[in-house]
Amino acid sequence: MIKNSSNKIALILVLLFGCILFYVGTDGFHAFTAEAARVNRLVDEQPKFPDVTFEDSKGRTYSISEFEDKYVLITFLYTACTSVCPQLEMNMSQVYQQIPERYMGKDIVFLSISFDPTRDDPATLDKYKDYFKSDGETWRMARISNQAELDALLKAFGVIVIPDGYGNFTHNSAFYLVDKKGNLMDVMDYKKVDEAADKIVKILDREKGA
Amino acid sequence: MTQVFYGLLLYIFLAMPPVVDFLESIMILHMHMQMPMLVAAGFFIAPFFQKRFPQFFAKWNSDGVPGIVLFMIIIGYWSIPRTMDEALTLPSIEFFKFISLPFLAGVPLRDSWKKLGKVGRNMVLVALTILFIGMGLLYVISPVQLCNSYLVIDQFTLGWGFLTTGFGMVVYLIYALVVDPSKYEGIPPEDMSSSED
Repeated sequence: MIKNSSNKIALILVLLFGCILFYVGTDGFHAFTAEAARVNRLVDEQPKFPDVTFEDSKGRTYSISEFEDKYVLITFLYTACTSVCPQLEMNMSQVYQQIPERYMGKDIVFLSISFDPTRDDPATLDKYKDYFKSDGETWRMARISNQAELDALLKAFGVIVIPDGYGNFTHNSAFYLVDKKGNLMDVMDYKKVDEAADKIVKILDREKGA
Repeated sequence: MTQVFYGLLLYIFLAMPPVVDFLESIMILHMHMQMPMLVAAGFFIAPFFQKRFPQFFAKWNSDGVPGIVLFMIIIGYWSIPRTMDEALTLPSIEFFKFISLPFLAGVPLRDSWKKLGKVGRNMVLVALTILFIGMGLLYVISPVQLCNSYLVIDQFTLGWGFLTTGFGMVVYLIYALVVDPSKYEGIPPEDMSSSED
């Protein structure tokens, strides 16, 4: 009888341990993948956009301060990509079309950043932007030529890029919304275009209303 | 006690940095070679603890259920895509992997397996089969990359690895259900499973 009750206690302790382990391991049953955990952490921490030098499709160079006092919607891509990036940019262009024109360029700028600076020179980016009807002004495409700066940005925003050895990269994709002070404010699912557009328009409306 | 020595040897081998790097560089090796071998190392080391603390196992794991539940919890935990990713990026999680798989899964598995009846064992196998097939389908069907540290193609390979292992387990379960070994080999079925010791 004593034996049996110890056994029961052990079972309860083990189950309790299991619950705690799963609870802690998934941030309270919220994040079952590292990607979900990464997004949650980013939204919590709101890291600052690091100091990098962009070179855009028109060959202009500038830093993030170019977009001071504007929201910036950012995606990461490389133009030789045949899988996720075209989808990602296609979705970005749909978000672009849903933002009222009065905000475009004044309160918000779209920015696609290439993490393949060797191949994505301004001429390549210029050609690529036309596929998605990006005007190169309110929606810019740019590369970061300095590898150290690029790495710092990817690290700060948790973008993981793995070269597959055949000139392609595997990478996680999302819409990154940076606020007017250059802090990352939200990371949105790039597959949910309407949700992202609604969220952005709401933020812009609130700003104007206040 | 020789198997304790070999278990320890396996454990040390698995913990060597070049071996760790190699096994973790490929997703399917990480999940289907390194992790099971860590459990196996604990399984071999188990007699050391059983001889050292016979009272502990007899008292707290008398019918084998707490031990096998602990085993299933640890296996379930390491099936979460996130834990595998974080083992690569966070040293504390990696450390937990090397402690939990041998000592919280391998050791209790050894102690519990003998205490469980045929039904209990088959229930464990059924649960594992469901887990494996579920994980396999998740990795094969899922269009999204579940692990940041591995390519989608690696995920695919792992998914099929899970499915083939699951298939093997289904074959075994069918065998266990319909075949009566005593009819063919002249050995009473009870003796088949308690041959270790």
